[in-house]
Amino acid sequence: MAGESVVTRRIALTTSLIVLAAIPNVCAQGRPGVPLGPPPSPRAAALIDITGYWVSLITEDWRYRQFTPPKGDYVSVPINPAGRKLADAWDPAKDEAAGEQCKAYGAAGIMRMPTRLHITWQDDDTLKLEADAGTQTRIFHFGSRQGAGIDWQGISLASWDYPRAPITSGFGGIDFGFTPPPPPGGSLKVVTTKLRPGYLRKNGVPYGAGTILTEYFDRFDLPGGDTLLLVTSEVNDPEYLAQPFWTSTHFKKQSDASGWNPTPCVSR
Amino acid sequence: MRGFMKIPCTILAVVLALVMSVTLHGQGRPPAGQSPPAFDVDVTGYWTPALHEDGLERGGGPEIADYGGFALNEAGRLFALSYDPSRLTLRHHQCDAYVMPYQMRAVGNFRIWEERDPHTQQLIAIDVWAQTTEGHRVIWMDGRPHPPAWAPHSFAGFSTGRFVGNALEIFTTHLKQGWLRRNGSPESDQATVMEFIVRHGDHLSDTTVVTDPVYLTEPEVRSNDYVRQPGDHHAWLYACDDGEEITGRAPDAVPNYPFGKQPFAREYSQKYKLPLIASLAGAESMYPGFAAKAKNATEAEALAKIQPAPNQPSETSRAPNPEPRDGEIHVLPIRGNVYMLVGDGGNIVVQTGDQGAFVVDTGEGRLADTVIVAIRKLSQRPIQFIANTSMHGEHVGGNAKLAAAGSDPSLPGSFFDLQTPGGATGHLADPTHHATLMGQNNVVVRLEAAKASEDMIPSDTYLEERRRKFHNGELIELFHESNAVTDGDSIVHFRKSDVIATGDIFTTTQYPFIDLKNGGSVQGEIKALNDILSRTGYEHEEQGGTYIVPGHGYLSDEHEVVEYRDMVVIVRDRVQALIKAGATLEQVKAARVTADYDTRYGANSGPWTTAMFVEAVYNNLKQ
Repeated sequence: MAGESVVTRRIALTTSLIVLAAIPNVCAQGRPGVPLGPPPSPRAAALIDITGYWVSLITEDWRYRQFTPPKGDYVSVPINPAGRKLADAWDPAKDEAAGEQCKAYGAAGIMRMPTRLHITWQDDDTLKLEADAGTQTRIFHFGSRQGAGIDWQGISLASWDYPRAPITSGFGGIDFGFTPPPPPGGSLKVVTTKLRPGYLRKNGVPYGAGTILTEYFDRFDLPGGDTLLLVTSEVNDPEYLAQPFWTSTHFKKQSDASGWNPTPCVSR
Repeated sequence: MRGFMKIPCTILAVVLALVMSVTLHGQGRPPAGQSPPAFDVDVTGYWTPALHEDGLERGGGPEIADYGGFALNEAGRLFALSYDPSRLTLRHHQCDAYVMPYQMRAVGNFRIWEERDPHTQQLIAIDVWAQTTEGHRVIWMDGRPHPPAWAPHSFAGFSTGRFVGNALEIFTTHLKQGWLRRNGSPESDQATVMEFIVRHGDHLSDTTVVTDPVYLTEPEVRSNDYVRQPGDHHAWLYACDDGEEITGRAPDAVPNYPFGKQPFAREYSQKYKLPLIASLAGAESMYPGFAAKAKNATEAEALAKIQPAPNQPSETSRAPNPEPRDGEIHVLPIRGNVYMLVGDGGNIVVQTGDQGAFVVDTGEGRLADTVIVAIRKLSQRPIQFIANTSMHGEHVGGNAKLAAAGSDPSLPGSFFDLQTPGGATGHLADPTHHATLMGQNNVVVRLEAAKASEDMIPSDTYLEERRRKFHNGELIELFHESNAVTDGDSIVHFRKSDVIATGDIFTTTQYPFIDLKNGGSVQGEIKALNDILSRTGYEHEEQGGTYIVPGHGYLSDEHEVVEYRDMVVIVRDRVQALIKAGATLEQVKAARVTADYDTRYGANSGPWTTAMFVEAVYNNLKQ
């Protein structure tokens, strides 16, 4: 009898849990815990706050980032023969003559520069990222694409991102609650396209017009009060790269604008 | 659709409430106030590092004097410039593993898996296996505390983790000394690491933040990227056994360059047409605006970076003393039935078994009664033998009390016993009621000269290289290290347990106390450290294996002894070179010959200062 009781209890418990777990998914049909009604603006729904002033910490690829490396020095970048050919032909004077001093300051290169960032909400749907190196501005649009692109910073579409299951664990399109809930936090995901061809490194390591730049912005709070911003980027360029180019770049939060020093692009 | 769903939702909720109330009977409810489980990011699987950053350094290897982007302080920079890669040919460095932050940047494959409680399925730990150096780290997820300061260090360190937002946040302590970069850029054993692992699809990013009070002025932030692999790489091993790479080399040779004499200091800057100061500048080299500043630096400013700043006071140790001063005696099990007791000055070792306890050293004696209580908890039988590694007070201070608390049952009924009451002296005069004190004969000579009380002076002595005793099921050997710290030092090797008590020949807390007045010498100290190393073995990649109990400081293995030996040899070499050049003691002191070690071992006050150490080395070498 005791055994039956335990079995009965377990079945009842399992049934209850399935029903319990299904409710939020059936009701909200989206991110669990999000109340019904009009969706909040991207600003209100922000998973993390990355606004403020940030300074880059050049601790990796230091020689390539703090100084302009010599022509043909493209170690670690998985460029293909076409990319190599272009990099070997790098001529900063030619770039200057063509008014293209900012080729290394495009979206796929600017975050690797020694720079300070100022990130603000331009409006409830748009984040603005300004870099004092080269005096560049990137605009991250949540939702629909705006602008024609084909410039140094291209078109950047932003979304809040958290790990999620590729499929629900239930059947009939209903998740019975076995899919883990989203984390209390997440990342900013930014996908940038329609870029004007530029340089991954200042010494002419190229990326092409068909480049797709995918970035994740993560914020980490350190004991003692410092805050880090990690920008993980994947550059997909079928024209000049043999495989995706991955880097992760970090910035330290500043309490104010100290050190902010907008400078023009320099090609050498 | 939403409006339609509202009604069923309400109904579902009511039904659920009823079902729950009927079926659960109150069982399995979370305790009041318990928060829901944290989101657990799945970081498990097979991962391959993307070497798209610092690829040359992480693959082929870095270049000498490439310290750009590192916030090295003066000590760290000088340590790196003194480094000669030939040091890796020394037997005890050949299989050095990487410390964890550098391990995570290594080439080779990574595997990450979970350990879960088989009954509750709660997450206990996340394990990481790195192919290079077969690095295995465990990230404890069960909320356990970090070990005490006197616990051993390892290349992986001791890590605890938790999930914060979408990141796995890890904190690591108890790291060994190793490399920030394997061109001599050091990371000390005092470094701690905060780490954040995030996963975006099949891409893992690990950000490490190294805080090192010994060698860094600012935390070092780096990040590593990994790509998920669909299956097993079948490449997980990194076979390494040390061998004889250079034969005939003097046993006290440690390849190093004197300050200012690194022959490759300019090579990196010349090769890449960088200002010499660029990669030597420390923290400022990490920030925007540095390139322009470096280009404007003078040659003199750059050259000043490759040797100690003149006329500066010695830096002092940034390493907290791991010895507790809380009035308690703390017991750290080492291996088998051997324990380390800390809290009363010098470390104490206790071996237990079916015979009486065998004790090595007795501390300062300030807490002798507490030590006795602690030993009684470990051993049902009384203290039978006490071996002294030295005549210094923090090792013999508790001799009288501990001996009086013990007894040596091997003596009653023997000829010694028959000699009483007139024939024997000291403890032998009343063997039933005292433990037997052992030591090298010079301990007796020095203690008697210092007019120490008779009840703290060893009665069982030896003169030459070795004293053996089989006790509690294992062979215990005392080896005389003549003219090291003093002329009466012993190391004590528990053979089966493979534990060596070194006395003050090796500590993790200070420069070696070369007690010239009592027969110590720098050359004897180096020989003694090498003698210890001739008896040790490592379990895996230069760690584990033989445990080393230092006279002061945390439980170690041969890696810590090797680093300490290197330090003594290098300082000796510098002083020797200056003496050869005709330098006076004051000139040697002004040369700051310990500048790269002072932030780890230095002291400007107390019983053993940096100045005293340098003076002892100088005077000894001048003899």
